[in-house]
Amino acid sequence: MDNKTGRAAREGSTATIKLVPAVAIPGYLTGEIQSKLAYVDESISRAEVSTGEIILHVSLLEPVTAGQPAVLTSERQLELEEKVQRVVVSMAKGAFAPKVQVLEDHLDRPVYYQLDPMQELFARGEISQEATGIYTLGPLLARLIAYFESQFLSLAESFGAAPYRFPTLIPARYLERVSYFHAFPHSLSFVTHLREDLDVIDQFAQQAACDDHGLDTPANSFASVQALLSPAVCYHLYFALADKPLPGGQFVATAVGNCFRYEAINLTSLERLWNFTMREIIFVGPKDFVLENRETARQHMTAVFEKLGLAYRVESANDPFFVGEFRKQAAFQSAFQLKYEIRASLPFKESTLAVGSYNYHQDFFGRNLAISLPDGSPAHTGCVAFGLERIAFAFLAQFGFDPANWPSDFRESVR
Amino acid sequence: MDIQNEPPLNERVKYLLADAIQVPPDLVTPDLAFGDLPQWDSLGHMEVMMRLEDEFGVSINADIIAELISVPEICKYLEAQSHG
Repeated sequence: MDNKTGRAAREGSTATIKLVPAVAIPGYLTGEIQSKLAYVDESISRAEVSTGEIILHVSLLEPVTAGQPAVLTSERQLELEEKVQRVVVSMAKGAFAPKVQVLEDHLDRPVYYQLDPMQELFARGEISQEATGIYTLGPLLARLIAYFESQFLSLAESFGAAPYRFPTLIPARYLERVSYFHAFPHSLSFVTHLREDLDVIDQFAQQAACDDHGLDTPANSFASVQALLSPAVCYHLYFALADKPLPGGQFVATAVGNCFRYEAINLTSLERLWNFTMREIIFVGPKDFVLENRETARQHMTAVFEKLGLAYRVESANDPFFVGEFRKQAAFQSAFQLKYEIRASLPFKESTLAVGSYNYHQDFFGRNLAISLPDGSPAHTGCVAFGLERIAFAFLAQFGFDPANWPSDFRESVR
Repeated sequence: MDIQNEPPLNERVKYLLADAIQVPPDLVTPDLAFGDLPQWDSLGHMEVMMRLEDEFGVSINADIIAELISVPEICKYLEAQSHG
């Protein structure tokens, strides 16, 4: 099957579409665009993006007539290509090249393991996968996470951070108020419940059943969405401080919480979970207060990671904004150096994984949520965030499972 | 365009900025800076940068984005570009 822009070949129950991007994709955008193609169409099972070519692996529908091969119709192929090109044009046309700034580079530190830890974790019964992006962690990972938590809590203590506990759910109207629906619609996880209607509830109780696609229930059984699963920890603090002067004019808090970001086919291993845990230390106050504390936190963690011997790099980054806002927001974050990621080495794939970040939001939350400083100006905010499952995973990827290779004080703590 | 009839640079910037962040031109004061108006936020700022590229044919990179944060800075940059 050939046409002007692409060709498709049938491969069992999948087809491969190759197409030339409508506009040239700069090298720095290939990963970003590839990750967004996961949301283009439910039939896309994998996508590969390079500067000059996009390859889509598409699951074909079951044949209508038994014995007939599944096919990708030309109309369907054109539909997929049009959607893909929309993403490409929106993200790549007129894109601003990011300003890459490396604050630390310790990727040359020795590592002691070269395999994917997932294999060993499964073999040891240390993890079990409940569903895509949802894992149960066993004692080893729990102890590893407790060790890292102790380090992060020590960092929080150095700032005199006030401890907080935040809910897992977050009201929809909260996220609307900070434009989250515009910036990250693709990763939202909605919460609902059965409508308060005896017939609806009785019908559900009698007929509810799961199939391969999930819970098979009439959509009108569910109430409207008033809450979502929280995508971040620090938002809860900003809402708690909203619409009033900031007591004392500056504030540091810390909390750990479950976070949820749906990432479709990008959900893989412990590297990218739908349900994950973050420890955050959050700064609210004048601009200098936030920026100085963010830098102090980075220097504190530099010493922690050095003692541990972790191979990592700290470099500028951007949040995973969705297609419509990506070009502007990512360029803005890059230009103003608002986000730095701690990217730990994953030797088994010769790649890195973001295990934490140092973030500055300027006065975005202060303005939008009316958090005011004593002089009446909006507060600035920032946070230091650590992904607990990811840092434990990165540690195992570098140090492996033999405690003899682990740093000595770490070995004592985890025992 | 007849250069004799072209509006002064600061006027062109004023109307470009007003259009980009969607506010009445009267609100774009000569010393207006990023963040002074709710509309001149991160998205508004990037819209301004793209309009500058289109309207004045200048190249905007990450360093420049972080510097052009007020009407005077924008005018100064455009003047330097026109004389460059």
